[in-house]
Amino acid sequence: MLETVLKAFLILLYATFVGFMFMGIIRIVTARIHRRVGPPIYQPILDTIKLLSKKSNITHGLIYDFGIIYALGATILALMFIPLGSISILRAYGDLILITFLLEIPMLGIMFAAMSSGNPWAGLGAQRALLTLLAIQVPLGFAIVALAEFYGTFSTYQIVMAQQSMGWSITHLPLLLAAIAYDIVLQAMFGKEPFDIMIAPGEISLGPMVEFGGKHMGILQIQHAIALFAETLFFSNIFLGGAVITAFASPILNTIASLAVLLIKQIAVLMIAIFIGAIFPRFTIDQAARFYWKWPTIIAATGAILAAL
Amino acid sequence: MVDWRLFEPLFEFARKRSLWIVAFCTGCGGIEMPPLMTSRYDLERFGMMPNPAPRMADLFLITGYVTPKTLKRIIITYEMQPDPKYVMAHGSCPLNGGIYWDAYNAIKHLDKYIPVDVYIAGCMPRPEAVMDGIKKIMEMIENGTADGWKRYKENYEYYKKNQDELFGEGWREKEARKWIPWLMDKRREE
Repeated sequence: MLETVLKAFLILLYATFVGFMFMGIIRIVTARIHRRVGPPIYQPILDTIKLLSKKSNITHGLIYDFGIIYALGATILALMFIPLGSISILRAYGDLILITFLLEIPMLGIMFAAMSSGNPWAGLGAQRALLTLLAIQVPLGFAIVALAEFYGTFSTYQIVMAQQSMGWSITHLPLLLAAIAYDIVLQAMFGKEPFDIMIAPGEISLGPMVEFGGKHMGILQIQHAIALFAETLFFSNIFLGGAVITAFASPILNTIASLAVLLIKQIAVLMIAIFIGAIFPRFTIDQAARFYWKWPTIIAATGAILAAL
Repeated sequence: MVDWRLFEPLFEFARKRSLWIVAFCTGCGGIEMPPLMTSRYDLERFGMMPNPAPRMADLFLITGYVTPKTLKRIIITYEMQPDPKYVMAHGSCPLNGGIYWDAYNAIKHLDKYIPVDVYIAGCMPRPEAVMDGIKKIMEMIENGTADGWKRYKENYEYYKKNQDELFGEGWREKEARKWIPWLMDKRREE
């Protein structure tokens, strides 16, 4: 029991730290693409410390506080279900639909908080975010169906184990199509550029985030870090083969090696998102909905049909 | 309870190194802001970020002359920011009116209405001068002399008196209700 709690705490600590590093990498790489120097890599940690150390704080009621905590909790729960190399605490229950569902719950928590603040910009951003959330469901669902159809199981851990013998998911054509669709969806889940309609800095003044200041925003930064980690981890687990290293004799070395392999895969997923995000301008919300229901849906549906044949 | 004073040096370092600017471009200085953010004089090196929301901003740049109409918005934006907040006034117009010293419609001393931490002289100041001012404000945050937000709390009567002298008593309510008659007329026309 105590060991499980300790393990969960360590996973959380690792995910938060790596997530913050990912946020720093996003800012540095974007700066380098713009020919800028960019902030140091630990900049998001400083931002979070600063936001948490604000001396005054505003609140708009119970739901405003609760929504933030709810978003953070849902992200942590999602993280616990995803197999992280050989260590994970709830991996026996971590099936695809549950994790996909849990990765979208945080957005609802942020929506609760934003809507209860009464700011019209936050309400507008919430509406856009909910429409984006609705739009990404269709390709996401088809990609999950393709995976489940191909491997005959919903369990993420079994999919990782199957990839050890059959090769990575993206080497099979039907799953490659699903992975492409999922990667386009990831862009909206990260809130990166072509589909950052819900945040839309400059257009609707940060959208749902507009009323969050001080500690609320600090907790949201932590949530964003963990969500980045969890989403990239989920993608590398189901499409890039995860990591089960058994080359070394000692289990600790194996664990460290599998974490390192996973980290490389996660950074690869992140880099694609950054490069796409840095060179594409933002869609309007109606274009984004139409786009998601057209191209990624066609690609993912083709993948699902091919997997079923 | 944890004694948070122990962590104060860490907090001061974080505050110093992650000043988020509220993007409120008044007057000509708005033109001087984009060069600071873009690739030549990259301010993101110091962890600064332009931010459209006042709730998560720390540094308020007043970039140029301030008319009474803008000053109302500036005061409201300033009061929306959470507490360790700093104001930097750009150019000579917020300092003493600049070339608008005899204009009926420009504020001569910004410091009478909101507390300013750092002034930068010049019309317009070069981006290097602005970066010098930012370096100055970072030093001031480190040794605790950037205390405009404390002064605003302690001397609120003084600032409120000056604001009310300029705009008249109850200007916030008046400003909020200003458009209601016009909207009612519009509705009647339809």
